[in-house]
Amino acid sequence: MSSAFESIVSRVISDTPSGEIKEVYQDLITIAGENSQNVILEAIEQYNIKNTIPVDVNGSNVILSSYNKEGSKFFDPAQSIIFSVDHLNRKGLDIAPYQGSELKEIQQGYLQELNKYVEKNFTGQASVAVYPIPQEESKTAIVIVSTKYNPGNFWNGAWKSEYVYDSRLKQLKGFIDVQVHYYEDGNVSFKSRKDVEIADSESPIKSIQQVETEFESNLDVSFTELNERQFKQLRRRLPITRSRVNWGKAIGNYRLGRDAAQGKPPQA
Amino acid sequence: MSSEQAFDAALDLLRRLDPNRLEEHLQNLIQLEPSLAEDLLSSVDTPLQVKRDSKSSHREYLCCDYNRDIDSHRSPWSNEYFPELSAEDLKESPFPSESLRELEVLANDSFDIYRDLYYEGGISSVYLWELDEENPQDYAGVVLFKKGDQSLSNWDSIHVVEAIHAGQDVTYRLTSTIILYLDKAKQMTLSGNLTRQTEKKAIIPAEGSLEHRNVAEVTNLGTLVEDVEIQMRTMLESVYFEKTRDIFHETRNSTGSIEGQNKEAHQEIIKGIQGM
Repeated sequence: MSSAFESIVSRVISDTPSGEIKEVYQDLITIAGENSQNVILEAIEQYNIKNTIPVDVNGSNVILSSYNKEGSKFFDPAQSIIFSVDHLNRKGLDIAPYQGSELKEIQQGYLQELNKYVEKNFTGQASVAVYPIPQEESKTAIVIVSTKYNPGNFWNGAWKSEYVYDSRLKQLKGFIDVQVHYYEDGNVSFKSRKDVEIADSESPIKSIQQVETEFESNLDVSFTELNERQFKQLRRRLPITRSRVNWGKAIGNYRLGRDAAQGKPPQA
Repeated sequence: MSSEQAFDAALDLLRRLDPNRLEEHLQNLIQLEPSLAEDLLSSVDTPLQVKRDSKSSHREYLCCDYNRDIDSHRSPWSNEYFPELSAEDLKESPFPSESLRELEVLANDSFDIYRDLYYEGGISSVYLWELDEENPQDYAGVVLFKKGDQSLSNWDSIHVVEAIHAGQDVTYRLTSTIILYLDKAKQMTLSGNLTRQTEKKAIIPAEGSLEHRNVAEVTNLGTLVEDVEIQMRTMLESVYFEKTRDIFHETRNSTGSIEGQNKEAHQEIIKGIQGM
């Protein structure tokens, strides 16, 4: 396989809505053939790590990320397990006990608080992660993923927020990323992303709650503004006369009327 | 793998990947399977390009695959191709017949007024072509509108029409795509396209001059495009501003969650009453 091929596959996969990876995989196989399978699966693995995709590990959701990757396997410090992943079907396999990474007491506290917050405020299928960061004692990675997939009605929605909290500097840094895809009789995409940086955070989960709630209400305002301003300026619902166009031979009268109103002489 | 399956898979991909990067993905897929190029380029609507007609006061016109020859596009104003083609190439270039060009001129003039009334700015262009020589009354065409400031908002309407005549009766088959892009200072983007198909029967009186029949054609076509655009504008408004917002709140809802539950409860009650 050439590297040009790999780079195209990777660009296509990385642009896929998170609920539609299997369909895109199938489409790519149909176009490029079965022997491209490995290249596509490799791109999907990268996608799952970069986009913190949750996988089903024995009935519980574990979020994949660069923080809990060990060789080709992934671990969950909360459950003290390690497993390999079927990246296409988002399933954990070969689950084994693992003591290589443990949550400190304070991190277990974050996890409890995070679970409570997410349960109250997230309506989709929600998963959370609190991962220690190797070699950086004071840092903790915190991830929230909430998805609602409804392919039967041609739509999928995904929320993702990812932060690193430094308990020594009291600093929270990360981002919120939201995507909605609606594809009945078309292809409509809504995306929003916000970078977060809070300098003086005593409690990371409280800060996250604050910033995410504010983000949500700002989005509601933005939807209304986009509709009221930009959209209305593109095309009127009806002409200024409030009636439909009078087509036919006399349609030129509109131009005469407008020119007269603007003080222009009638055109020949 | 048959080429038809590959084509369907490519179309499926293009309705899943970010519509805002449609042209880039179109090129990606063509690189993956070059034999798909012609079919994809002629069946996937991309944002309209704008050119200027140097033979008609540099007036702007819209470009798509339907008015393209080699790398030039025919202008509806002067009926010439820009950049200009060599005399050799021009012999092969498509032009509408003289009588169809008369209809095209009238259609451009009328849709230009329609554009002004609804878009209050923007650009419109109409292109027509013959379907087959034995039925010179039948034709196909495309009606195009573009409005926007490129960076923050853009609207492209593409209406592909076929008009089939049987005596006085005409059947219009219209495939309409609107590509809409909205950006709120990089905080959020709403982008995409919706397509719908419409069929309508109408009458063109058989008697009367060519001019009369042309006015009747444009009246039929204009009324149809106007109806469809009014419906699609409503549809776009509901999908872009209500549907996507509702789906977003299906992932997170801390502000309006109680309201949502009440609404559901009300709907249950209404259903219950209706069922009695």
